[in-house]
Amino acid sequence: MTRTVQLSLEINGRPHALDVEPRVTLLDALREHLALTGTKKGCDQGQCGACTVHVDGRRVLACLTLAAQVEGRKIATIEGLAAENGDLHPVQAAFLEQDAFQCGYCTPGQIMSAVACIREGHAGSQEEIREYMSGNLCRCGAYNSIVAAVREAAEAA
Amino acid sequence: MTIMEPHKHGDASDGVIGGRQSRFEGGMKITGAATYALEYPVEGLAHAVLVQSTVPAGRIVGIDASKALVAPGVLMVLTPDDDLGLTVATDWYGNRPENQAYLPLTHEVSFNGQTIAAVVAETREQAAEAARLIDVVYEETPSIAGLDDPNAGDGMLMENLSSAWGDAEAAFAAAPVKIEAEYTTPREYHVAMEPHGLTVKWEGDRLTVWEPSQWSHGMARTYAEWFGIPYENVRLVSPFIGGGFGSKAAALAYSALAAVAAKRLDRPVKLAVTRPQNFTSYGGRAATRQTIKLGATEDGVLQAIIHRGASETSTYGVWPEQTGAATPILYKVENFSSQHRVVPVNTVTPGALRGPGKNPSAYGIESAMEELAYKLGMDPLEIRLKNYADHDYQSGKPWSTRRLREALTEGADAFGWTRRSHAPRSMRDGKTLIGWGIGCGTFPVIQAPSEAMIRILGNGRVEVVSGAIDMGQGTYTILAQTAAEVFGVPVSQVDVRLGDSRLPGSAIAGGSMLAGSILGAVHKAATAARDELIGLALNDENSPLRDTGANTLTFDGGRISVPRGEGPSLTLPELMAALGRDEIEIRRNTLPDGASAQDHHLAWTTMAKVQGPTMGDYSMHSWCAHFVEVRVDEDFGTVRVSRMVSAFDCGRLYNPRLVESQWRGGIIMGIGQALLEEGLVDRRNGRTINNNVGDYLVPTNADIPHIQVISVGVPDFNASVLGGKGVGEVGIVGVAPAIANAVFHATGKRVRDLPITLEKLI
Repeated sequence: MTRTVQLSLEINGRPHALDVEPRVTLLDALREHLALTGTKKGCDQGQCGACTVHVDGRRVLACLTLAAQVEGRKIATIEGLAAENGDLHPVQAAFLEQDAFQCGYCTPGQIMSAVACIREGHAGSQEEIREYMSGNLCRCGAYNSIVAAVREAAEAA
Repeated sequence: MTIMEPHKHGDASDGVIGGRQSRFEGGMKITGAATYALEYPVEGLAHAVLVQSTVPAGRIVGIDASKALVAPGVLMVLTPDDDLGLTVATDWYGNRPENQAYLPLTHEVSFNGQTIAAVVAETREQAAEAARLIDVVYEETPSIAGLDDPNAGDGMLMENLSSAWGDAEAAFAAAPVKIEAEYTTPREYHVAMEPHGLTVKWEGDRLTVWEPSQWSHGMARTYAEWFGIPYENVRLVSPFIGGGFGSKAAALAYSALAAVAAKRLDRPVKLAVTRPQNFTSYGGRAATRQTIKLGATEDGVLQAIIHRGASETSTYGVWPEQTGAATPILYKVENFSSQHRVVPVNTVTPGALRGPGKNPSAYGIESAMEELAYKLGMDPLEIRLKNYADHDYQSGKPWSTRRLREALTEGADAFGWTRRSHAPRSMRDGKTLIGWGIGCGTFPVIQAPSEAMIRILGNGRVEVVSGAIDMGQGTYTILAQTAAEVFGVPVSQVDVRLGDSRLPGSAIAGGSMLAGSILGAVHKAATAARDELIGLALNDENSPLRDTGANTLTFDGGRISVPRGEGPSLTLPELMAALGRDEIEIRRNTLPDGASAQDHHLAWTTMAKVQGPTMGDYSMHSWCAHFVEVRVDEDFGTVRVSRMVSAFDCGRLYNPRLVESQWRGGIIMGIGQALLEEGLVDRRNGRTINNNVGDYLVPTNADIPHIQVISVGVPDFNASVLGGKGVGEVGIVGVAPAIANAVFHATGKRVRDLPITLEKLI
C-alpha cells in the first residue's frame, strides 16, 4: 500500500482525523474522505473557483492545496456558513433572494468567495464586485444576480 | 411590455403558475446539501481513471498495462484487448441493430483524446498514477485536423436539411442589390461546471447509476440494453445536475467502462472524467462554415436567399450542426435555397450545444442582413421590419404566435435605438469606439409526451412525482407552483421528487421541450386528483361536504369549500381524515388514449414520439431580438459588451424570475461565443490544445454588463397546454451576430469568423 499520513484538520470549528496519502488535496480530503461534498470540483486545476474555501479567513482553492498543508489552520466550508440553528448567512439568503444560481454547482464556491469579497472590502461597487468575483466561473450565467446578491449582502453588513 | 426587474419574493401570488416563486430547491444548493452524482456515500468504492489516445488516427497495435497492473492499489485495467460483452443499444429514434457488439474501447483510433483504456484502483490518486504507466504503440494513419484542413473535402450533402422554394438563382441574378459573404464558427464546448462522471453499483443483475442526466429514462434504457438486462433492473439517479447544455443526455463510452468494471470487480466504481478529458469524451458544437447570398430591391425588399453551409462531423458518426436552421424562417422571402453538408474529420462526434443549428445559422443570416442594410444605407432595424415574415414561408403554415415585431420595436425603445447614428465609427467616447448592433434569434417549439404522478397524503401534503430532471432550468419550482395552484395550497405544502428513472416517464430536458411537456402531464394528473377528491368529498357518507347540494368544490387559500363560500370548509388534511384516506395517488400521461405498454416505453426512452414545430396546423417557435452596445479600444482592439437589451417572445412564462435567469444565461453564453470561445486544434496531431477552462475562455463576471430582458410574449396554447414556448435555447441565438454587427458599427470592420478577437480588429 501507499504510505499515508495522519492529519487532524479543523473544519468549521470541529476537528477531523484523516489518514490519507500525502498527495491528497484538501478538496479530495473534504469530498472523498470527510463526506463534506458541498465544496465542488469543477476543474481540479485552479481555474474555475468551484472549490473555494476559507483557510484562516482567506479564500483558497482547495484543489491546489494539499490537505497536509492546512493542518493547524482554520478551514471553513459552505457547510459551516449557516448558523447552528439553521439561519442562513446573509450572503446565502441574498443568493436565494436574487436567484443568483441555476444548476447550483458553482454556488458554494461563489458564496464562499462572496463572503470573503465583502470582508476584504471589495464589494463597494458593481464594477468592483465583478472584478473580485471573477475567479469563480458560472456557466449558467448568473453573474448579474450574483453581483446583485453580493451588493445586497454587503449593504446589509 | 414587461420589464423584469429584481423583485422581492414572498408574495402569496408567487406560488401559482406564472408567479415569481423563488427557486424551490434553492435552500439545498446554497448550503451545500444538494447531492450531485459523484457525491453519494457508496461503501467500498473503487476509482476508475480514463486513458485517452495521443494520436488523431490509426490503430493500436500494442497496449502494455503490465506496469500499471502492479502499481500500488490497482485492481483492474480495461483495454481494447478485453471483450467487454456489451450489445449496441437503441439509438435516439428507437432503432436498434440486432446482436451487434458495442465496443467502448477499440483498436481503431478516430481522434486524439479518444478513450482507449481505463484503470481502476483503490483510490483515484493510485488510478491516475497507474494510468500514466500504460504504454501504447500506435500505427498512425493520415488524419484530417478540422473543417478547414485542405484535405477535408466537401463532405456529404444532407438532403433532409436542404430546402428550396421559388427560383433563388434567377431572383438573385436579377436583384439590383446583392451581397455575398462567408461566415465561420469554431468548435465550441459546453463547459458545464460539473464535469462528467458517474458512480455505479451492481446488486446481482440490478444496476444503480448515479450520473448527471438530462434524460433519466433514455439513459437507463441504454444501460439495460448494453448489458442485456430488463429496463426495470436499471435505476438512474440524477436529482441535481451541475449544468448540461446538451452534453448530459446520453450514456457514453466511459459510462460503459465504469459499469463493466463495477460488474467485474463486484464492487461499486466511481469514474470522474477530468476537465481536460471532458473536451474529447463527448462532442461540443461542431465548427461550421456557410456562404450566404442575399438579393434585394433598391428599397430593401429581400428577393432571394441562397445559403450553402457545412459542419464538421467525426469519421465514425454523423452529427449535423444545421447552418440552415434559422435561415428560412426569419424573413419574408419568395425565392430560397439552402443546402447543408457534413464533412468528416478526426474529432469526437460533435453534439448538441445550446441552440443547436439555430445558433450558427442565425450568426450567418443576421450578419448578412446587416451587411445588406449597410449596402443599401438602410437602418438595421428598418430592414428587419420591412422584411418581416407574415407566415412561415418554408412550411407555408401560419405562425401560432410570432411577436418578433414587438420584440424588435419594444427592444429598440428600451435600448434607445433612435439615438444611433448610422455610419460606422461615428460614435465614440475618447479613444473608445462605440457600436450598436441587432441580432434576432429563434428556436422551434418541440413537444413530447410525458407522465406524472400526484399523491395527496393524509397530512395534507401534495407530492409531485416525475422522472424529469432539473439542471437549473427550474423544473422543481414550476412543478410545485402547478400543484399549488391546482390544489389552492401554498408551495410550502408541496413536495417534488425528480431525477430518477424509476419515477414516471418524461420528455428529455433538451430542445427546450421539457417544461411544456411535463407541465402538461403534471397539470393533467393534478386536475384528475382534484376531481377525484371532489367526487369523494361530495359522495362519501363521512364527508362534511356531502349534503351541501354543491356539484363542485373550490380549492383556495388552503381550504376546500363549496362555491360562493356557504357551508363547511375544510383543509386538505381535515378532508382526508374525514374520508378515512391515507393517500390518493393519480398517474396521468399525455399519450393518446389506448397507447400500449410498448408505446409508453418508446415515448419515455426514445425520441420516437417527439413532435416538431410544423407537424400540426401551425409553425411554432420562440423568438427574440438582442440589442447590444460594444466599446472597442481603438488602439488595442479589445471588445467589451457594455450594455444589452433583449426582448423575447416565449409565450406564457411559468415563472418569470427563473425565465429571466435562463435568458440571461443563454445571452452570456452567446457573449462568450462571440468574443472568447474557440476550440484550438494542434495541426500536427489533432490535439485539442486549450482543453481546460484557463485556456478555453468562457465569460467571467467581469465580462458581463447588466442585461435587461423583456417579455413580449402572449400565451400560445397550440405550443403547449399551459401556453408557454421554449425558453432555454433561444436566449443564445442571435447574440453573436448582434455583437458582430455592433463591432462593425463601432470599427467599420466586419468580422466573419468567430470569435471576434483583438487581432482581427487591429
